[in-house]
Amino acid sequence: MSAVVQPYADELAPGAVLPTVVRNASRVQLFLYSAATWNPHRIHYDVDYARFEGHPDIIVHGPLQGAWLSQYVTDWAGPAGRMRSLQWQNRASALPERDYEFHGRVIAIDGDLVTLEVWEQDPDGNVLMPGEAVVQLPRRDRG
Amino acid sequence: MRVVSTTSLIPAETAARVGELLAPPVTVTVTAEGSQRYAQAVGDLNPIYFDETAAHAAGYRTMVVPPTYVAYALVQGRPLGDIGIDGLFVGDKPIRLEVARIMFGGEEWDFVAPVHAGDVITGEARLAAIDQKDGSKGPFVRITREITYRTAAGEVVARTRQIGIAR
Repeated sequence: MSAVVQPYADELAPGAVLPTVVRNASRVQLFLYSAATWNPHRIHYDVDYARFEGHPDIIVHGPLQGAWLSQYVTDWAGPAGRMRSLQWQNRASALPERDYEFHGRVIAIDGDLVTLEVWEQDPDGNVLMPGEAVVQLPRRDRG
Repeated sequence: MRVVSTTSLIPAETAARVGELLAPPVTVTVTAEGSQRYAQAVGDLNPIYFDETAAHAAGYRTMVVPPTYVAYALVQGRPLGDIGIDGLFVGDKPIRLEVARIMFGGEEWDFVAPVHAGDVITGEARLAAIDQKDGSKGPFVRITREITYRTAAGEVVARTRQIGIAR
């Protein structure tokens, strides 16, 4: 984790860009995530079986990418931030040992509620996972 | 007049199940151990999941769990004999569709209140919707399972709609 910076709702404006974060899953991480979530689906650890189902390799769990998106939002929101909602679509599969970028920008601010457009893309700019989050943030003008 | 495809991938018996509980409600005590293993597997080392003092400093009464972890805290262990060729658990009442496979299509979460290590949480999963759509790669079925998570006092802490894409 990087140094803790607390954003404030009244110091943001629509269009503000969140810092980009890169994630890259090792095969070991995929195995551990399967274990920690009690998920025995073979496409996440058995290359031969994944190919039989038409995938080029084992694939990253859709919900793991969702958890990365969740972490992208909560890390940005800081200790006083509270994520109120998060939605995403898994459009394409991600592979292990590859970089994926998480991006975001502020699209609306209403009181202490900040709506973010967030997404995961590959280094070529193809969006794998578009999403949206609502985060409750503190305001400076309310002390 | 529009030509409407008459081929349905959704058998009538499946369409009739919309709204029904997909399994009996599950109640568990959410543990720090399970939550921390999940957080480590995700690579999310936020101290509010690991350290009581950090959780207090951030305004929580005790350690909390990663927002999406509650779904996995409620996963029930199953015997190996319940696992199919693809490695997936075979449900007691699988949703029958005229399709080859189902992919995870995304999720829509509402986080109403934080879930803490030690909380007793009940999850209730319903089949919320099943719709056939026409995509660029042909017809597909969108299945929405809605899971509501409540405290022992009955207060909703989170709700998720998990989207499955079947074709």
